[in-house]
Amino acid sequence: MTLTFPDLVLIAVMALFGIGLYALLTIRNLIRIIVALQVLVKGVILLIILAGYLTNQIGMAQSMALTVIVADTIVAVLGMALAVQIMRKKKSLDTSDIAELKR
Amino acid sequence: MTADFAFKSLLLLPVIAFPFIYLIGRASVRLSTRNTGTQRNPAKWIALFVMLLLVMPLVIVVKQFTAQGPFSTFIGSIELKMDGVGILMSIVVVLMSLAVVLFSDHYMSHEVGEEKYYALLVCMTGMVMGMVTSTDLFNLWVWFEAMAITPYILVAFYHDRAPALEAGVKYLFQSAAGTMLVLFGIILVFMHTGSLCLGGSCAIEIPKEPALVVAGLLFITGFGVKAALVPMHTWLPDAHSQAPSGVSAILSGVVIEAALIAMIRALDMISPVFTNAGTFLIILSVGNIILGNLLALRQTQVKRMLAFSSISHMGYIVLGIGITMSYGLINGAQGSFFHIVTHALMKGLSFMIVGALMHAYGNSKGDAHAPLEISDLNGVASRFPGLAFALSIGLLSLAGIPPLAGFMSKWQIFVAGFETGNPAMIGVVIFAALNSVLSLAYYAPLINRMYRQKPTPYLAKAGRIAFSMNMVFFALGILIIVVGVMPGTWNWLTNPAAQIIQKAFWGG
Repeated sequence: MTLTFPDLVLIAVMALFGIGLYALLTIRNLIRIIVALQVLVKGVILLIILAGYLTNQIGMAQSMALTVIVADTIVAVLGMALAVQIMRKKKSLDTSDIAELKR
Repeated sequence: MTADFAFKSLLLLPVIAFPFIYLIGRASVRLSTRNTGTQRNPAKWIALFVMLLLVMPLVIVVKQFTAQGPFSTFIGSIELKMDGVGILMSIVVVLMSLAVVLFSDHYMSHEVGEEKYYALLVCMTGMVMGMVTSTDLFNLWVWFEAMAITPYILVAFYHDRAPALEAGVKYLFQSAAGTMLVLFGIILVFMHTGSLCLGGSCAIEIPKEPALVVAGLLFITGFGVKAALVPMHTWLPDAHSQAPSGVSAILSGVVIEAALIAMIRALDMISPVFTNAGTFLIILSVGNIILGNLLALRQTQVKRMLAFSSISHMGYIVLGIGITMSYGLINGAQGSFFHIVTHALMKGLSFMIVGALMHAYGNSKGDAHAPLEISDLNGVASRFPGLAFALSIGLLSLAGIPPLAGFMSKWQIFVAGFETGNPAMIGVVIFAALNSVLSLAYYAPLINRMYRQKPTPYLAKAGRIAFSMNMVFFALGILIIVVGVMPGTWNWLTNPAAQIIQKAFWGG
């Protein structure tokens, strides 16, 4: 069995998405969590482009990818802003040091 | 004003107005502090003006809808359709935002960054209305993400308080991961159908692909994070208890329900393939009902308790929708939509009254943002009799005591469960009804404390409650009683909304 081009892209998507999701669940440093989220998003963006390629609607897929990049940047910026505030307040970025609200 | 123009202005007015609220507010604060030394902030008046202005197009849109049924408008090439669900959520969100803006007049005055608060609140209103009327899966996601971004900032509004920051961080990361799962699902749908068209307005062939079932599960998980379905609920109690009270009211009353609407809209599209979505929702709803209730029992802060009760009420709403999706009975979804309305009213009222008490205790405790402990409610009725009565109405309605509004909507959902005739389903409904009784175990002590316990020393030194706040509480309290006594008057709103769910999953 030979791997076609879409298969290879799909493997890359799954790898990025899997790494991102695994990192989100295990990592405890706020900045690294933001990076993990970015990896996850990059996987999704790659999938958008692949979907456009497969359905012959590449223009639409590209505009969707751009929108996702914008939305995702806003989230990353907000996450950073919160991380900066927490660093100032708590002198730590570790989520286990921050957690004081009980369940 | 034509209906089309009214619809457009309903969506665009908040989006256009919100930067101006911020800029004018900011400029005025800087100029007035430099020139006169006192802070003057007109942001709340502009926000109030915008919200009152929104009522006019809303009335026209509602008139058009009741006369001729669903109608569409185009902004650019994007189609937006006002259907039963859209009109219900628009009415709820405008009503709640108006109440919150009025309430915040006194609650938020002289907070740093007041203009940010009002700008984001107005923005969120517009985003919710845009989301519930979108007819395209990707547009739905964009509105959803935009609607999600405003609460991130609002939850962490008191950014010099560590707990608020913690809540903000939890909310942001969990819900950002959730929206990415949703996007993954949307792209899977796009890949296999080549279309993103929602709501059956364009006939597309849905292929029987297993990938679409995966997409459905991703929708349930991803939107479930925002809709606080157990086990994706962990952000909710922190976020709702740390946000300013007005924001808690609107998050609990509108935003989590809006996320559920988005989930149903997305599941609509793949319903021919993902046929047992309703079963999944019913199973999740059982978890929500019991976990929300059990965790609420052991809370000592009133706002946290109300937040956990939101989780269990979300369970009732999901249960009704699930019944309609699995069995095609209209009563389930109709009850759920009715519960969305009543839950917004009673949870909004409760959160805002607790906020007012926190604000009043601010002087005597020396910290305006100190959480309201359950013991702080002791003897409140002796100092604020009206307030205590209104809070009792809200809490009893949440517990589902007839003849208040909360009972009527829960009842309709339970009736739908019995109508299915399925023994397992009847078991679930009896379980939900028993949980409704269990919830009294944490609502009733609050009322008992307000009326029968000796006041704490803080109470005597507590500040007064502003007239604008009392007005809001009075209006919401009256609405809860009126809706409870005359539940049939809301059928014109809940029935078309439920028909859309029924039609989407059962084809008529």
